[in-house]
Amino acid sequence: MLITMKETNLGRREFLKTLGVAGAGILAATSPWLSAFSEVNHTAKDRCRIGVIGPGSRGQFLMGFLAQNPKADIVAIADIYQPSIDGALKIAPKAKVYKDYRRLLADPEVDGVIVATPLNTHYGIVMDAFDAGKHVYCEKTIGYTMEECFNMYNRHLSSGRLFFTGQQRLFDPRYIKVMDLVHQGTFGKISAVNAYWNRNGDWRREVPDPSLEKFINWRLYGESSRGLMSELGCHQLQIGTWAFGKLPDRVMGHGGITFWKDGREVHDNVHCIYGYDTGESLTYGSVISNKFYGLEEKIMGNLGTVEPESGKYYFEEVAPAPAFLQMINSWENKLFDEIPFAGTSWAPETANVNKGELILGERPKTDGTSLLVDAFVEAVITGKQPARIAEEGYYASLLCLWGHKAIETGQILPFPEEYKIDYAAYGTKKFNPVTDTQA
Amino acid sequence: MKDIVFTARSQKRELLYLLISFVIAALLNLGAILYYDAPMSEMFTSFFYVLAFTLFLYALTLIPRLLYRLLRKERRKN
Repeated sequence: MLITMKETNLGRREFLKTLGVAGAGILAATSPWLSAFSEVNHTAKDRCRIGVIGPGSRGQFLMGFLAQNPKADIVAIADIYQPSIDGALKIAPKAKVYKDYRRLLADPEVDGVIVATPLNTHYGIVMDAFDAGKHVYCEKTIGYTMEECFNMYNRHLSSGRLFFTGQQRLFDPRYIKVMDLVHQGTFGKISAVNAYWNRNGDWRREVPDPSLEKFINWRLYGESSRGLMSELGCHQLQIGTWAFGKLPDRVMGHGGITFWKDGREVHDNVHCIYGYDTGESLTYGSVISNKFYGLEEKIMGNLGTVEPESGKYYFEEVAPAPAFLQMINSWENKLFDEIPFAGTSWAPETANVNKGELILGERPKTDGTSLLVDAFVEAVITGKQPARIAEEGYYASLLCLWGHKAIETGQILPFPEEYKIDYAAYGTKKFNPVTDTQA
Repeated sequence: MKDIVFTARSQKRELLYLLISFVIAALLNLGAILYYDAPMSEMFTSFFYVLAFTLFLYALTLIPRLLYRLLRKERRKN
C-alpha cells in the first residue's frame, strides 16, 4: 500500500508527505496509477535498463531524472542528430549509441525505451518497440492520427508490454490533490474547465543549416506535428476529462496563423470547445503571440474555482471579515468615497478580489515529470502496468487530435466512436462495428 | 531639569479614560456583531482589534487634553 511503503527516493518521499499520509489510501483509489510505487520496497535492489530513442531537448530532460534514479541504467541511446547524441552522452557517458532505433530495439540488454522523437515518428517506433518486447514510455501526443493512437494502444494490450505516456500531471501532487477535492464535490458541480497555454515567442529552435529546418523545427510543420494542439493541448485536455470523469461528445474549433507568418504551417493561435451531452464544456486555447495570461486550467464549480497551475483554489463565498473591521471599513467608505460624476451607470462584473488558498499549502515545486519517470522505472522492474495510465494518455492524445481535426475541417465533430476503448473511468466501452451499427 | 510628576490622581484619571475608551470600543464591536449578524464569538476573537481601537480612542482624548493644558500654561505665564 502507498501508506506503508518506505520511500527510497527523496522525490517520492516528499511527494507522499506533501499529500498527507491520511489521504494516500484515497489517492490509491482516485489515482490508481500511483500503484506503480506499491512495490518500491521489494525492488530496492533491482535495476532496469533503459534505452532512449530521440534524446533531444525533451529526451535529455527525461534522461536527467533517469540518471538520478539508482534503479535505472541508461544503457543505450538512438538518434541521427549528432548534437543530441553529444548532449545525451554527457548525461549517460556509458550508453551505447545507435543511429538506427531498430538496432537499439534489437539490443537484448534494453528492457524499456523512452520515445521522445518528433510526433510523426512515434507510431513506427512504438509499434516496433512492442514487437521487440520492449516496455514503452512515449512522449505525448502518442500518435500523429487517432487511428495510430488506437493501434498503439491495442498493440500495448496484445503485446503485454508496459505503455506509459508523457502525461506528467498524473503524478503532480497538486493535480492529484485537486482531483481528489473535485471528485469529493468540494467545489460543487463542475460546469466548465477553461484551459489555456499562452506564450510570446516564435517556438523555433536554432537551425545550424537551412537543410535541417524541418528536422529541428518539426513542431512547425504539418507533416510532422499537429502544432499547439498536440504539443501543448494534450496536457491540459487530459485535465478536463480527469476533472469531469467522462469524455465530451462533440468538438468545434478554430485556428489560424495570425502573427508568426514565417513559413510555418501550424497555427499560432488555436481555440477549441469540447461539449458534453450533459451541458458541461471544456475549452482549450493557445496563443503564442501574447503571454499575459500564461498557462492555466480553471476548473469552475458552483462553490469554487481551482487553478492547479498556480497551485490555488478559490471559494465563491469568502468568509466575511470580522464585524468590527466591516464597521470600520464602512466608516472609511462613508468618509472617503467620492460621489460619482458622469461615470458609468453600471459596474462591470469583474473577477472578485479573492486571494485564494494554496492547494498544498505552498508554492508548486515540481510538475510530476520526475515521478512519472520514476514510476516507469518501477513498472519496468516489476513488469506491472499501473492501472489507467495508458488509457489516460490514450484519451488525452485522442482529444487533441480530434480537436485539431475540428479546427482543420471547420466542422462540429462528434466523438469518433470507432476509437473508444474499454475504460470504465470515462464510462466508455469498446466500439463493436457489428452490433453498434445495427439499427 | 524639571521633574515630571505623575500623581496618583492623574494616573487614576488616565486609567479611567482608557477604561472608558475600551468600553466604547467593546460596545461598538457588540453593535457591529449585531448589525452584521456575526457570531458572538467575535467578542473574543476580535479582542485585538478592540484593543487597537481602544488605544486609538484614548489617543483621541489625549490630544485635546494636551492642547488644553498647553494653552492653560501659556495663559498663566502671561
